Amino acid sequence: MNRVTENLSESTDETSTRTASPLARRRFLHLAGFGVALPVGLSACAAGGGSSSDEETSDAPAGEVTEDNPFGVADGSAIDAVIFDGGYGTDYVAFAAASMADLHGDAELTVTPSTQISQQMQPRFVGGNPPDLLDNSGANLIAVSTIAAQLEDLQPLVDANNLEGTPIKDTLYPGMLTDGEYDGRLVQLNYVLTVYGLWYSKSLFDANGWTAPTTWDEALALGEQAKAQGKFLFCWGKEAATYYLTLLIDGAIKEGGDEVRIALGNLEADCWSLPAVQAVLTKMGEAVSKGYFRPGGAGTQFTAAQAQWSQAQEAILYPSGSWIENEMKDQTAPDFQMTGAPSPSATSSASMPATALHASAGEPFVVPSDGANKAGGMETLRIMLSKEAATNFAATKLSSTVVKDTVPDDAFGSTALASQIAMLEAADTDSFSHTLVDVYGLNTDMLVVWNSFLSGELDVAGTTSAMQDIVDAVREDDTVTKVTVS
Amino acid sequence: MTTIGAAPATGRRTTPRSGGRRRWTFDRVSLFVVFLGLPFLGYLTLVIYPFLQAAYYSLTSWSGFTPTQDFVGLDNYTRLLGDDTFLKSIGNSLTLLVVVPVLTLVLSFALACLVTFGGASTGGVRGLRGSSFYRVVSFFPYIVPAIATGIIFARFYDPSAGLLNGLLTSLGFDGAQDYPWLGDATTAMPAIIAVIVWTFVGFYTVLFVAAIKGIPSELFEAARLDGAGRFRTAVSIAAPSMTGSLRSAYIYLGIFALDAFVFMAAMTPDGGPQNSTLVITQQIYSAAFREGRFGLACAMGVVLAVITFLFVGIVFGVGKVLGREKKAEARR
Repeated sequence: MNRVTENLSESTDETSTRTASPLARRRFLHLAGFGVALPVGLSACAAGGGSSSDEETSDAPAGEVTEDNPFGVADGSAIDAVIFDGGYGTDYVAFAAASMADLHGDAELTVTPSTQISQQMQPRFVGGNPPDLLDNSGANLIAVSTIAAQLEDLQPLVDANNLEGTPIKDTLYPGMLTDGEYDGRLVQLNYVLTVYGLWYSKSLFDANGWTAPTTWDEALALGEQAKAQGKFLFCWGKEAATYYLTLLIDGAIKEGGDEVRIALGNLEADCWSLPAVQAVLTKMGEAVSKGYFRPGGAGTQFTAAQAQWSQAQEAILYPSGSWIENEMKDQTAPDFQMTGAPSPSATSSASMPATALHASAGEPFVVPSDGANKAGGMETLRIMLSKEAATNFAATKLSSTVVKDTVPDDAFGSTALASQIAMLEAADTDSFSHTLVDVYGLNTDMLVVWNSFLSGELDVAGTTSAMQDIVDAVREDDTVTKVTVS
Repeated sequence: MTTIGAAPATGRRTTPRSGGRRRWTFDRVSLFVVFLGLPFLGYLTLVIYPFLQAAYYSLTSWSGFTPTQDFVGLDNYTRLLGDDTFLKSIGNSLTLLVVVPVLTLVLSFALACLVTFGGASTGGVRGLRGSSFYRVVSFFPYIVPAIATGIIFARFYDPSAGLLNGLLTSLGFDGAQDYPWLGDATTAMPAIIAVIVWTFVGFYTVLFVAAIKGIPSELFEAARLDGAGRFRTAVSIAAPSMTGSLRSAYIYLGIFALDAFVFMAAMTPDGGPQNSTLVITQQIYSAAFREGRFGLACAMGVVLAVITFLFVGIVFGVGKVLGREKKAEARR
């Protein structure tokens, strides 16, 4: 662009001798030069500049595939990683650079932080030069369904041995890979362990002799006791009303077992009318009508609502994922002792035990197929899943990765982290996950329904039919690729 | 936006008839190149080309992330016609299109009249005492960036910690306790419209003050001698003499109301209760950036553009018809 501008202003120098006010015109043209150069640069952003990406990848330098180099990373090659710079920062990925250099003859891992994943990566995907490793996370993430076909299958990664010589899939907590599957392929690796359930203040519960509810009947009884003290059982924020949807699905799956999970995940007809779903939803409706929900949630920003629970303690329970401790770190009452409990089932005669847990993982890492050094991208993930790197993550971020046994018994002093590990160990193989809301991008539509339901404007029947309508529309839509849940 | 205001004004007046034919000197040619050629080139590449590009993408199923696009014809448009949420967002945008300009124009016209000729009825025609102060103060909200205004008012309307409910409950309105202004389908849209109007009234007041000052003051004095009150003066003298300003203001506000993205994104980012504040631009954003349906999003954009053109056409058309009738009356 500079070159263009210079040329233009040079040519004006010749002509300006003839004009009345050379200075003014020269400056104007100089600016005009910018105006011309700019659109040319901009128009290159739109699609159409698609280079032949196949050639680029076949040119990629390949190293020899050996036991210690399962993906064939070339010695000294460069790896381009774009990492979401959110709550966890990016240093935990950069941590892998040293091992990478040691293992592969000074191979260089470059980490680029980003908070605008979708906006910044779009031109790179269109142009056929995406990064070798991408942490597709944050508010501006790319919907998996959009790019799934352009991503590598990560099955070879989890089949490979980690740096310590154990197959990676054997080192993970159970069920951590299910959410990463799309259309029968493992397209993303979720790195950070996330446990869903109800969160409460252990100190407050101990002082009142309360225990975390394991069924919705217990929850309603607890609501009555809380009300006697001028507190609410729950509170919610307008952007996070669907946390209660997660609570509903969790409870329904525990109540009715895998068939409920499969029916919901496959968007089956009348899936919201299944007895297990209705049992939990009816109890929730009862909690709403009895005034156990703090009023006004539909107009409250979600972190402000969460502070009503963690700081003001006007509500005693909050359904969320285990990120809640980190998210509310600055707005938590002293000696709160945040602790988690598995989502309650409708009755005590549920199909799954009370310890059954909704556990999955966040921070999805993907390896784009068009990346110049996708072997390097896979290898970076393999290093990150090693004991050393996973332990480093747990110690510096006070969260666990999907790798087992990296958190010591004292959990670095975090009650929430300690309770996560305790819940996971108690659940053992009874952990499950469900992703229909995220996979089909239904959150925006469902938020509307759930804000109305929790406000009391929509009853159980109305909520059921509204949810069914949303799901039916997706099922009947041929343009949406369906994920089969089994 | 600039083209709407500028085109009719320059189109008629700049052609110099008096000089006759002129020679194509270097001066004139370079003037045309710089002042017409370059802007036109910029307009082509920055406005027309992306517009055509979007129109083409609206006929494809482009995800936004692939180098090629699959042509699907009018599928996206038929899909939109059957999409209740999208139709609802069109309805909401049209509501804004009608209500926001009318409220803003009436309020700012009234304020402009007060600060220009609404003052004491003795002595020269003048505004209220301290009117220059009001004029400056009323402009303040316009200086605050829209996103900041949105965030501030989102807190203002907060059910439990908000200023509004705090004031109302302290005045004894117990119904306002924990009332979710932005969370109730009956109040969410009016609450947001109030914020938008609050933001724009000051700017249009200043615009109208300038327009009223452009009317010869003898007219106001004559009207007063004839016994016209302030309301009669505003309706019969001020308003008819500034139809041009009113019409431009209506178009600007209308185009803004069709957008309204910033305010909505700050106050009800997910479309509000029962989608009562969902607007087309939010639908475009979520189709493109959340769902990865750039083709569909482009189709929505084309629909929005068509609505905008229709709106501008209607406003100009009505203005022309009214103008003709008035001229015909004057001839009689």
